[in-house]
Amino acid sequence: MGRRAIHSRQTDRLLEALLQDPLVWQHGYALMKQTGLQSGTLYPVLLRLCDQGLLEAEWRESDRPGKPPRHVYRLTSSGRAFARDQITPEHKEAGALLGAKA
Amino acid sequence: MTNAPRRRFAQMLMRHAAYVMPSGGLDWGSAMQNEMQAIEDDRTALRWAIGCVIAGYNERVNATLQTWYARWALACLIALLALREFFAPVLIFTYRMQYLGLAHFLGLRTAGDDYRRLIPVMDATPAWLPILWAAAGLMYLVALWRMLHRKDGSIGPFFLAFALDLAGAVTAKSIEISTGIVVTPNLLVRAAGEVLTLFAGFLLWRMTRKKTLAAS
Repeated sequence: MGRRAIHSRQTDRLLEALLQDPLVWQHGYALMKQTGLQSGTLYPVLLRLCDQGLLEAEWRESDRPGKPPRHVYRLTSSGRAFARDQITPEHKEAGALLGAKA
Repeated sequence: MTNAPRRRFAQMLMRHAAYVMPSGGLDWGSAMQNEMQAIEDDRTALRWAIGCVIAGYNERVNATLQTWYARWALACLIALLALREFFAPVLIFTYRMQYLGLAHFLGLRTAGDDYRRLIPVMDATPAWLPILWAAAGLMYLVALWRMLHRKDGSIGPFFLAFALDLAGAVTAKSIEISTGIVVTPNLLVRAAGEVLTLFAGFLLWRMTRKKTLAAS
């Protein structure tokens, strides 16, 4: 059976952001600034991607003293393959069309 | 970062967001909470916290809907909707077939407690209308069966049933007007029925919608 992709434009934006520097760990707040997604949208998508094994998350000590540790994220190898598959020119055009209609 | 009321409110919201996140998502609650500490601007922190509360409740609702008790509660609700659709066809059938004992028993479950009050309405009801209601009831049962067997596409039969029910209700209303008999005089009961149906539809949609990003 072929791969069925059930995703949203928000997921595409996040995948695109994560794919820009796929090996670099990124913070949630940085991803929010990069994608323009609100935390209420961003975290459920991050959670789903982690559940699917497309994203890995781990705790990192904060670089500023006295601050609590922070979660960092990056795509797994399957996540990178999936993201590349999703963020193709055809997908971008479809997304842009949908955005224009909305 | 300040100790301004806006920041304190944001921190309070974040604690609430971490609290409402389902137990499997505790780590995520802490992640969201700690991330806010890195946000210097109080206004942005507050927006972040509000978003996290929404995300927390979203996850809580999703987790609750996947429990067996939520599934069975919704199953009972859909079964009730199906029963409601079958009620009128059965009452009309028993009356027309002269099973008056059963008609009397069913009539006790109607407003006014007597099926005889509804005789003019039942006489004026075209034969296709009970079939339409029965079809709606059947569609609810199909939706119920698909939901309980975790099969795709339970929402389609559910809303088809709802559409059939609405179509039946419009026809039934014209019959009520022509006969001057209101089957369910209590407007609150009538409205509650429709609200309950839409609520069940919403829950079914939330329960069965795809949360996967990719499925092979």
